[in-house]
Amino acid sequence: MENKDISQIAFARIKGEGIKPISRQIFSIKRVLFWVIVGTSLIIGALAFSLILSALFNNDWDLYNKFGFNFILRTLPYFWFISLIIFTILGEYYYRKTLLGHRRQFIVIMGFYMISTIAFGSGLYLVGVGNYIEQSLFEKAPKYRNFIINRHEFWSHPEVGLLSGKIILIVDNQLTIIDSENFIWIIKMDNAFINEPLELKVGERVNIIGDITDVNVFDAKEIRPWM
Amino acid sequence: MIDHLSCRSKTDNELVGMSLIDPDHFLCLSKRYEEKLLRYIIRISKFSREDAEDVLQEVFIKTYYNLNGFDSELQFSSWIYRIAHNEAVSAIRKKISKSTVSLEVEDLEKFGDDFDMTKNIDNSFDRKLIDEALSKLDEKYRDVLVLRFLDEKDYVEIADILKKPVSTIGNLILRGKKLFKDEYEKLIINKHSIIN
Repeated sequence: MENKDISQIAFARIKGEGIKPISRQIFSIKRVLFWVIVGTSLIIGALAFSLILSALFNNDWDLYNKFGFNFILRTLPYFWFISLIIFTILGEYYYRKTLLGHRRQFIVIMGFYMISTIAFGSGLYLVGVGNYIEQSLFEKAPKYRNFIINRHEFWSHPEVGLLSGKIILIVDNQLTIIDSENFIWIIKMDNAFINEPLELKVGERVNIIGDITDVNVFDAKEIRPWM
Repeated sequence: MIDHLSCRSKTDNELVGMSLIDPDHFLCLSKRYEEKLLRYIIRISKFSREDAEDVLQEVFIKTYYNLNGFDSELQFSSWIYRIAHNEAVSAIRKKISKSTVSLEVEDLEKFGDDFDMTKNIDNSFDRKLIDEALSKLDEKYRDVLVLRFLDEKDYVEIADILKKPVSTIGNLILRGKKLFKDEYEKLIINKHSIIN
């Protein structure tokens, strides 16, 4: 059987069908886009890690004795753990799609990602970015409050003696606060221990341990800074 | 009109650049890879020559269409082999074709040299047995063995063609060689038991 000249046949098709190479810009944009996704994933992963550190270091670990393992389950920053995992996987996936990304092993890329995330995320936490974002999201993004189940939710159970809110008024030995559900509470501080370095002032967010003594009246035993 | 003799002195990368200016130069590039790629497609797909030629046509068209996407950080050879590999895999999925071809004698000798099986089989390669042993291997092992021993690609080139880490390629080749040897020896034993 006679061998066909495939090159010639393919070339005739290219000419006959008027096939033109895709523009160089399309490929350049695609390459840049992959690197942007890789970089963005790393930054978001590091932010998530700084928020995890913020949540862990600010957690009220002394309450563990009172509430047991349930305390850990209810206060872990799941949202940020999941974000960290998702963006690490996304970064690894798109790194592999870069020109020479496939040459490196999964474990090498993941190792690089984890070390970078921990280093960068710790740095962000140390300069206060973690705390700042957590506080900003809590105050300015109401959906965020509903979406995450963590220590804020843990501190929103006055029926078991845990209350959290923002101070709106201070009169003598009594605070008025507004909680995350927009309920107003009168806080009696006659028997309250105020945790240092908390400075009670209007606008400050506080966590309170105590008991309900009347409708929307809470007898505080201990007042702590919110974060 | 392109003088094809003058193409011979040009590197692949030079021809890519020239093809983007004057498409006629692409013919030089495709002719340079025609035989190698056709053999490669037949080896990994087990298609008939006719079917493999159809696949190769598509490979050349896709190569030309994506020519601006070629980056000289990769070898052109790896890049076009990757397109051929993807096109062959996609054609295999579309059509399960029965093998009508055997490996060439020189191909089998390459396998024999590396596997050092000559001691066991007295230098007498059984084309059908080696062909059969290869076809019994999982696609991922067959791919790397064909590229390494028949197309004589190095590990980095194979990694670029198959888009896998270099260390993974090393492991696949190591494991593939062992599996090939096991399959081959099983076939030899079967053959002898039938004869006796």
